[in-house]
Amino acid sequence: MSTASIPLTKSAPLSFETRVRSLKLAIVASLLLIWEAMARSGLLFEDVVPSIVVVVAALGGVLVDPVFYSNLAITAWEVGTAILVGGVTGLAVGFVLGNSRFLSRAYEPFLYYLGPTPKIIFFPLLIMWFGIGPGSKAALGALSSFFPIAIATAAAIRSVDPILLRVGASFRLSRWQTFYKIFLPAIRGPLTNGFRLGLGIAIIGTVLAETKLSNQGIGYLIIQTYTTFNMARMYALLLLLFAIAILLNAALSRLARRFGA
Amino acid sequence: MRQVGAQLRDVTRQGTANFALEIKDLLMQFETPQGPVVAVDRMSVGVEQGRFVSIIGPSGCGKSTVFNIVGGLLRGYQGDVTVAGTRMDGPHKDIGMVFQEESTFPWRTVIDNVVFPLEVSGVPRAERYDRARSFIRMVGLEGFEQRFPAELSGGMRQRVAIARTLAFEPKILLMDEPFAALDEQTRLLLGDHILKIQQELRQTTVLITHNITEAVQLSDKIVIMTYRPGRLKRVLDIDLPRPRTSEVVGSPEFGAYVAEIWKDLREEASRGMQDAEARSRSS
Repeated sequence: MSTASIPLTKSAPLSFETRVRSLKLAIVASLLLIWEAMARSGLLFEDVVPSIVVVVAALGGVLVDPVFYSNLAITAWEVGTAILVGGVTGLAVGFVLGNSRFLSRAYEPFLYYLGPTPKIIFFPLLIMWFGIGPGSKAALGALSSFFPIAIATAAAIRSVDPILLRVGASFRLSRWQTFYKIFLPAIRGPLTNGFRLGLGIAIIGTVLAETKLSNQGIGYLIIQTYTTFNMARMYALLLLLFAIAILLNAALSRLARRFGA
Repeated sequence: MRQVGAQLRDVTRQGTANFALEIKDLLMQFETPQGPVVAVDRMSVGVEQGRFVSIIGPSGCGKSTVFNIVGGLLRGYQGDVTVAGTRMDGPHKDIGMVFQEESTFPWRTVIDNVVFPLEVSGVPRAERYDRARSFIRMVGLEGFEQRFPAELSGGMRQRVAIARTLAFEPKILLMDEPFAALDEQTRLLLGDHILKIQQELRQTTVLITHNITEAVQLSDKIVIMTYRPGRLKRVLDIDLPRPRTSEVVGSPEFGAYVAEIWKDLREEASRGMQDAEARSRSS
């Protein structure tokens, strides 16, 4: 390295990541600007597109409103129950299907076809079974999240390299050891991703059900603001719902990445 | 060539020595849609304590079947496979297997991979890490303890797998073409590691391979198998001095052994090739 080395690329003043981040910020800023411009232009109804200042004020109002928190708790309970029920059944079914070629060939087409159908069509049925309260919302969320979790689990089980199981057998692992020393660590990455999808869909299912027929929950609050034409508060609620969904998603993505998915 | 050839001793008949591993009249038959196929046909091999024995044969000679049977992963065979006098029934605590495929656990670091068999058998934490470290040193991977397999080369990963199996402290180390996926030079250098380990541990080792150089470089005894059905063709003692390194590859004796084995294998390998060609023509 005695001769002067010629740089192959022009040294960028900012790193790639920094530039991506600044562009992201610019996108958000310009969206807010366009919003504000529309609100102030007078071309649209002031109530449909309220000024950002008004929305932020409404956001502050929501955040100190105990009604918001009690309804958030209801929705959280519904989503939690949904992911618990959908998750456990999805895991069990996925585990069985992933381990049996016969059963997977017989049952999985149904999962694949039923999976993407909007589960809201079952809502009237679920109201009859679980009542008009949070039970039917949790049931819809559970039904929604069951499919992606079952499919992800079955795929994850099948993706376990058979050689690793042979290694386990050669070290004389018991059935239980094989499960928690090899299967579980091998599938926890794709499994976490399956749960992430399931959680997203459980939130959609639950809130959607709340907007249809209910008297509590975040979905109910949103519909209430809509019927009373309180647009600023509605936007505030939507923004909070987005924020919560994004945070949960990001947390599970990080976990999945840590598990090597 | 002739003089060296005269030094080669043929020992097709085994005495009744105390074998660490003994395969007697092994017969393995698979049911296929085209009817039963004999993979291994009445094969007998004895492996003495502390010796390095290679089983060599062309692709499709049933070597991997022998590997899986001796490892206890394949049942339904006829004949006897005995380890230190007791008949094999499933994976044996005295046999440690090293596989041809990538077999390290990708979610475990190097040291956590090596610790695995000790962890499973309940060795106390501090002790198992101590022991794992000594095996990592043995395969020349000190300094890489905290790396993940994905950060290592293929040859390093295979060494992790070997260290992990050594940590199981088997009486017999059973390897199925552990370096098949590696290039020739890496393979020769890894052979040095194997020679060193064998030297240090007096490890009884059975190596399944199709690589003649590798077999001669490492073995005390080479068992040559025929192509389908896998029968014992010849047993050859390798009288190359120990301790050995990969430099032995340059010696005239080495060349003579390679030529000798190729003479036996050539016929088998070409039968295998003709078979493969016939199969692809008919399909």
